[in-house]
Amino acid sequence: MLSIQNLHAGIEDKSIIKGIDLTINPGEVHAIMGPNGSGKSTLGYVLSGRDGYEVTEGSATLNGEDLLDMDIEERAVAGFFLAFQYPVEIPGVSNMVFMKEAVNAAREARKQEPYTAGEFLKLAKEACKQVQLPLDFLKRGVNEGFSGGEKKRNEIMQMILLQPTICFLDETDSGLDIDALQTVANGVNSQRDPNRSFVVVTHYQRLLDFIEPDFVHILADGKIVQSGDASLALKVEKEGYGFLGINYVEEDV
Amino acid sequence: MIDELDLALDRKYEAGFVTDIQSETFEPGLDESVIRRLSTMKGEPEWLLEWRLKAYRSWLEMESPDWANLDIEPVDYQSISYYSAPKSMKDRPQSLDEVDPELIRTYEKLGIPLHEQQMLAGVAVDVVFDSVSVVTTFREKLAEAGVIFCPISEAVREHPELVKKYLGSVVARNDNYFSALNSAVFTDGSFVYIPKGVTCPMELSTYFRINELNTGQFERTLIVADEGSQLSYLEGCTAPQRDDNQLHAAVVELVALDDAKIKYSTVQNWYPGDENGKGGIYNFVTKRGIAHTNARISWTQVETGSAITWKYPSCILKGDNSVGEFYSVALTRGRQQADTGTKMLHIGKNTRSTIITKGISAGRSSNAYRGLVKMGPKADNARNFTECDSLLIGDKCGAHTFPYIESRNPTAIVEHEATTSKVSDEQMFLCQQRGLDPEKAVSMIVNGFCKEVFKQLPMEFAVEAGKLLEISLEGSVG
Amino acid sequence: MNQWLEDVIAHADTQAAGHAGATWLSRQRALSLDKLKDNAWPTRRTEAWRNTPLKPIESRPALLSPMAISTWQEPAIPDFESIDIYIVGGELKTDISTLSLPAGISIYSLHDEKAAALASQFMGKIKPETHVFGLVNDVVADAGIIIDVAEDAVISTPLRLIHTATEGVENHSRLLVNVAKNAKVTILEHGIGEQESMNTSVSEFNVADNATLHHYRFAFFTQKALHVGGCHFQIGESSYLNSTIVAFGSELSKLNVDVNYLGEHAKVDMNAMYLLAEGENFDLQSVIEHAVPNGTTDEKVRGIIGDRARANFGGRIHIHPDAQKTLAELNNRNLLLSRRSLVNTKPELEIYADDVRCAHGATIAEIDETSLYYLLTRGIPRSKALVMLNFGFIQELINAIEDESIRNWLNNMLSNRFQSMEVQVS
Repeated sequence: MLSIQNLHAGIEDKSIIKGIDLTINPGEVHAIMGPNGSGKSTLGYVLSGRDGYEVTEGSATLNGEDLLDMDIEERAVAGFFLAFQYPVEIPGVSNMVFMKEAVNAAREARKQEPYTAGEFLKLAKEACKQVQLPLDFLKRGVNEGFSGGEKKRNEIMQMILLQPTICFLDETDSGLDIDALQTVANGVNSQRDPNRSFVVVTHYQRLLDFIEPDFVHILADGKIVQSGDASLALKVEKEGYGFLGINYVEEDV
Repeated sequence: MIDELDLALDRKYEAGFVTDIQSETFEPGLDESVIRRLSTMKGEPEWLLEWRLKAYRSWLEMESPDWANLDIEPVDYQSISYYSAPKSMKDRPQSLDEVDPELIRTYEKLGIPLHEQQMLAGVAVDVVFDSVSVVTTFREKLAEAGVIFCPISEAVREHPELVKKYLGSVVARNDNYFSALNSAVFTDGSFVYIPKGVTCPMELSTYFRINELNTGQFERTLIVADEGSQLSYLEGCTAPQRDDNQLHAAVVELVALDDAKIKYSTVQNWYPGDENGKGGIYNFVTKRGIAHTNARISWTQVETGSAITWKYPSCILKGDNSVGEFYSVALTRGRQQADTGTKMLHIGKNTRSTIITKGISAGRSSNAYRGLVKMGPKADNARNFTECDSLLIGDKCGAHTFPYIESRNPTAIVEHEATTSKVSDEQMFLCQQRGLDPEKAVSMIVNGFCKEVFKQLPMEFAVEAGKLLEISLEGSVG
Repeated sequence: MNQWLEDVIAHADTQAAGHAGATWLSRQRALSLDKLKDNAWPTRRTEAWRNTPLKPIESRPALLSPMAISTWQEPAIPDFESIDIYIVGGELKTDISTLSLPAGISIYSLHDEKAAALASQFMGKIKPETHVFGLVNDVVADAGIIIDVAEDAVISTPLRLIHTATEGVENHSRLLVNVAKNAKVTILEHGIGEQESMNTSVSEFNVADNATLHHYRFAFFTQKALHVGGCHFQIGESSYLNSTIVAFGSELSKLNVDVNYLGEHAKVDMNAMYLLAEGENFDLQSVIEHAVPNGTTDEKVRGIIGDRARANFGGRIHIHPDAQKTLAELNNRNLLLSRRSLVNTKPELEIYADDVRCAHGATIAEIDETSLYYLLTRGIPRSKALVMLNFGFIQELINAIEDESIRNWLNNMLSNRFQSMEVQVS
């Protein structure tokens, strides 16, 4: 499904990702851990096509199509979803309008009829309930005045509505209390599907208690330095990154 | 050594006075013959005389600006003498005893050494030993670095190619009413040239040119920083200056060539006049800098003096990636009026400007910020951030904000914010509860309010500026 | 002097000789006519008109004879279940004597002697017109109404004054509204036109103690329909004014809005938006006079400026001596859609009292890159994302409109207009 080969990328002249190879098959959940500054968020930005992030070498394909050749919105329509670490506030643009436009853009690409306002409202209400957000959040501006936890739930709600094929969750657990974490994880788990894959970027093992990964990768200085199963995450939790020879002090987040 | 001292002290004399006219003061009045006479006396080349005359002719066509927020008695330009030789020793006060005791009290509070007090008060003293030694060592150091720092009249003679090239290149002869007048009749001022790649080894200051203090009402300063050079220039003293001239119409031009950096700091506290506003100085200054590619010009000013201040140090951000900054504290009290601010003209791509102003109004004074931010059609990705804060002390004063913003480029971002506040009762209560008297409390709060600007000043200057505010605020409380 | 002004003065002289209209009206016209004759035509050097080119008006004759047609087409405007009064081509087209009005409200024509007391108290007094076009309106506006809302009357049906520009004749209209103590009313001024014409409309509002006025002013003059308007409010103790201004631009379009605080504890919420399509000009000048203590002003002005369009905004907040405890905020945000768009903004604070909280802000900004990225990652096409983001900026003010039908109509109308505007930011 998603195939990344020898990916090198950076911002301006600074190289951040220095050769990543990663293959994600349908239905798999991959966790990416690693010290701050190792390139985890950058990977999400590069795969989503954010301006200013330049790929210098390598390739990334989604279902055989060259992901890197597409515009940001084309990647989204092709099924790549990025849940932001810091979701953006857009005052004045209602959450409802925003998501309806997004969902219908995806439907249009699939040659499906756009949802009517009524049809969409029904779907949105369900998704809203699923992530335990009050329904009036649909009317409010996108993330406008939302708390940190509400923003993260809103990200998951968008994921549920957009039905992407690959979901890249960038530190979706950061800043969440245990209840919110549970809600977010339930949202993610409800979307697990043999045809849908997840990349979960996190600092903490605790998220992986709720979203059980098939593979865990440790990213350091722009490269995957070790891969393993869920037990690797437990080891990191217990020992830090020291056993990998990475001189790293865990920062307070 | 003695020769060198004489030289250092007598540069003005050397600068073109002929013995027989040494003590001459022109009759009041202004016409072309006055300008010719002035130019001849200063031994100026023909081109400069022509330049002055053209300025004069444009001035005649112009009208004195009429700002809504300044209450100005019309100036009678025919009653001013446009040239006055330095006061002879015998015309000056012979000792500090003859000087206004208020002024002396202020000097003492500021901790100014006796000989400097004498100088600032214009007392006739033959040689100021400490300062002279400073002058000498500092001249040597500058010469080593290739920096030119001299009176502009000397530069006209010694470095005519530089002066001719840059004089009036930033502030055109006919730029405004006062700059036209200045161009026609300027008598002296400073000239600075920093060669390519040189970081000026010390902060240049008019303080080191103490003998130039009384350069008169039409001072002209030209500073050229060649490619990649850096300079910090300090104008003014932190103590109130005695001055006989009612009208000051100075012009300051800064040229920052590619990659150069100029930091220009001013502490201005001319005599503000008595409590009814009588006798104070009118300060109408045109200050402007042009920044070429990657250059940076930074203006910092602390304005506490003058009856009327009208000045807008500005930046023309011509080169791509150039940066302009303006940091200002303006304090008005009594019946002072200040109308000050800046202009940031963004011409090049990726140009950036920051404007931070702090206006403090007390008594029956009026304090206005007037600024212009202009984004030209080619100023792609240009940015401006402006923050104007006003603090009012007492309910008889005025604080005004008049920003003019114009943009012709959709990628340029302009942000302007202005707020106004007073010293809150809670703040006062806290300070007083901790044992501070109200006056001290206010000065502390005001200092805090100005901190953002003070930290842009060179260290000693910042400390003295703080003290100066404290003194200026005396009697403003209660 | 130019042809247009000469024509206007000649017309006014003839009118004065004929002693047309009510006595109080003749008196007022005579006063303004004297002033008009002394008043200089604004030039580019006149600060208030610096960015408002008057060329389109200078080069045309004044066409002041009312349109001699008995049938006219109602302009395409929405149905709000309001009481509608039409002024078309300089004539009052609605027979106000036949309107069925709720109790507590009276409407008079400009020529009605019954309105004399009210008119002489307020007309031309709330903000005497000082500029040429205001004075022109004083002397030639023949079509107008005077609305009197009685003490304690709460009028739930909005009153709507529709002034329509028509080709070949100028439209000068006048409105005076008195909202007496404790009364509450909604007034909507809907100006519309695109044909070649000159229009002035001046409105004055007295909002008495404890009264509430919801006010809307739509200046939808586009293309060659020139318009200079004024909205002047004076507000009494504990009164509330909520005003929403929406404007498009034309070759010449200018609106002056003034608020004078006469009583303490009054509050004003003012939201203004301008959406200028290709080549349009619009100039908005607002002046808020806090003459008494304890007033509260919240003014938000947002503009979107299309290709080759020019917007000019001046917003002055004046805190008079002794107007202590004033809270005043003004915020102006602008978006340029092209390299050939131009905006001038000048928010001003003039403060003579110390115990006040005042702030103003102005921004001119491109679309926020992060917001754009966020929308794109959700698959929304770039062109649509730009529209959404830009419009979000205006939407905030639309969402603040209390009346649901007005809010929905404006939302649709403005978003359609906006979507037809091209975003040319690369």
